[in-house]
Amino acid sequence: MAPKKVLLKVIILGDSGVGKTSLMNRYVNQKFSNQYKATIGADFLTKEIQVDERLVTMQIWDTAGQERFQSLGVAFYRGADSCVLVFDVNVAKTFENLDSWREEFLLQAGPRDPEAFPFVVLGNKVDLDARIVSQKRALSWCQSKNNIPFFETSAKDNINIEQAFEVIARNALAQERVEDIYLPDTVDLSDQKDKQSAQNCAAC
Amino acid sequence: MALARPGRTPDRSESRAAMDDEYDVIVLGTGMKDTLLSGLMSVAGKKVLHMDRNSYYGGESASLNLNQMFEKYGNGEKPPAELGSSRDYNIDLIPKFMMASGKLVRMLLYSKTTHYLEFKQIDGSFVYNKGKVHKVPVTETEALASGLMGLWEKRRFRNFLIYVQEYDAANASTHKGRDLSRLSSADLIKDFGLQQETVDFIGHAIALNHNDEYLTKPAAELVKRCQLYSLSLAQYGKSPYIYPLYGLGELPQAFSRLSAVHGGVYMLNKKVDKIEYDESGRVCGVTSEGETAKCKMVIGDPSYFLADGKVKQVGQVIRMVCIMSHPVPNTNNSDSCQIIIPQSQVGRQNDIYITCLGASNSVAPAGKYIVIVSSTVETAEPVKELSPALKLLGKPDKIFALLNNVYVPANDFAKDGCFITSSFDASSHFESSVNDVLAVYEQIMSTLPPEERKLIDLDHLPAQE
Repeated sequence: MAPKKVLLKVIILGDSGVGKTSLMNRYVNQKFSNQYKATIGADFLTKEIQVDERLVTMQIWDTAGQERFQSLGVAFYRGADSCVLVFDVNVAKTFENLDSWREEFLLQAGPRDPEAFPFVVLGNKVDLDARIVSQKRALSWCQSKNNIPFFETSAKDNINIEQAFEVIARNALAQERVEDIYLPDTVDLSDQKDKQSAQNCAAC
Repeated sequence: MALARPGRTPDRSESRAAMDDEYDVIVLGTGMKDTLLSGLMSVAGKKVLHMDRNSYYGGESASLNLNQMFEKYGNGEKPPAELGSSRDYNIDLIPKFMMASGKLVRMLLYSKTTHYLEFKQIDGSFVYNKGKVHKVPVTETEALASGLMGLWEKRRFRNFLIYVQEYDAANASTHKGRDLSRLSSADLIKDFGLQQETVDFIGHAIALNHNDEYLTKPAAELVKRCQLYSLSLAQYGKSPYIYPLYGLGELPQAFSRLSAVHGGVYMLNKKVDKIEYDESGRVCGVTSEGETAKCKMVIGDPSYFLADGKVKQVGQVIRMVCIMSHPVPNTNNSDSCQIIIPQSQVGRQNDIYITCLGASNSVAPAGKYIVIVSSTVETAEPVKELSPALKLLGKPDKIFALLNNVYVPANDFAKDGCFITSSFDASSHFESSVNDVLAVYEQIMSTLPPEERKLIDLDHLPAQE
């Protein structure tokens, strides 16, 4: 049997300006722009990767800027297979806020087993020389939350990005349970029948 | 290193900066109509600020979990444990289905918001006749076996359907000598010699009119509505309706995301204290918590314009939300369905609708059903008006009664720059809602300089990737 194709929904959370969009762009498009603008035009990006025998489509969802005033709706969180928590190692507040982002995720997404849900923490912007949050401090927080994997990254210098996303994919795959495989028989709206073809198959 | 670093953590100062800004449009309320307009304006390149007094998306068209439902409508009660987990519930405040080939589907395709949403078809459509619930026949076999009409009447009904099916406004040979822009619906139906009950069936269960006003109006609209029904039915087969997984509240969230992706700024849980007008009476800003954001126009639902006297009440809709541990009796155990009770069957002027949804639509835990009974209010005792429908349900676990005022705009948008959507009507689907959105959108465009006007063409949709 051919290996099953898997779609993983990955959401990226964290304070505004920590580099969520840049990380996503670096990983999927191999691009980086130093020019900051609050996220506009970023929706979600997809990337196909091979994890062992399996072909995996990663669908990485950006906040579209709706995190700025705590206005992410429950639909954004729904069905997430993994959650990437991002902070800026140079801004203490962005690290301190990880707690509330994690809480918010667990509340909104409501995973069946919150303790085992695959989070990954990224300490971004290590390329800058103004580091405030030490590796030790970040690691100890991650350990206190059931050993969340931690990566120090730079979207600008492409540090640790591939490695981090591979762990994101692997841990999300390992979480797959029977109930996730159940797919309701949804319909495809883009495949609309027109009046003529509908008439040909209409009963009366 | 002196690299400028954006130190943005969400705090008061950032909110102040966002409120200090000047916007093309401020949108008030995140209902389905207002978020769709917000999305369309952002896509058209307008700078949009969107606020909602609630901490959740959707306004009057939200889907609430069980805790939110009890908080809002439970009269101080707490949700009992036997109803299960709060978060497994997504209870629509406005019960509606989507016509599978209707304008809302076209709007979703047009705005490319379909990839935020998943839909399922509704399992069945039923109609109440002489005290009994009948399946609305969808195949010829079902039509022949149906107890809804006698044999001869079935033939006349079939002739009517063939005429409707073949009718094409642009092709005179299909008109068979009738001018449907002049001929009334009543006269068209009379031409086919149909009995009163069949007329009710066509007008209410197929054309989905919720009262009898259509009879005196030109038959072209009736034919269009019948065609929409059969085209929608032909899409997926079991019923003409589809419905988003997790409830209708997903629609405003999808439209909000569309707006945000195009630069719209979102603030939930934001109290709107005052809409500001200049000396000529034109809107110029919105004040919240002591800060005023400037704008050129405001779009919003009626609840934000009550204080300014810019809306008027035209009626009320009563909606009874029932949580049940069984599907609606006599619907072949359908997981999801609609039952229409035509007004003439129960001595009313307006139809009563029953919608049933369950775990298969991701709006309730396994084994629970959300059944909503609704109609336009006709008397001083609205709950009593729905009793013919409630009798069909068996015993619910919990009932909430929601009485909503229906408002329409009563302002002059050309003078004050306020574009107000109407409250949701009692109809069973979204066709009139999308028409309202398109009408408001056109009003907005009519006030812009010609080079900024952007038209929406739902007949020619962009390719989907």
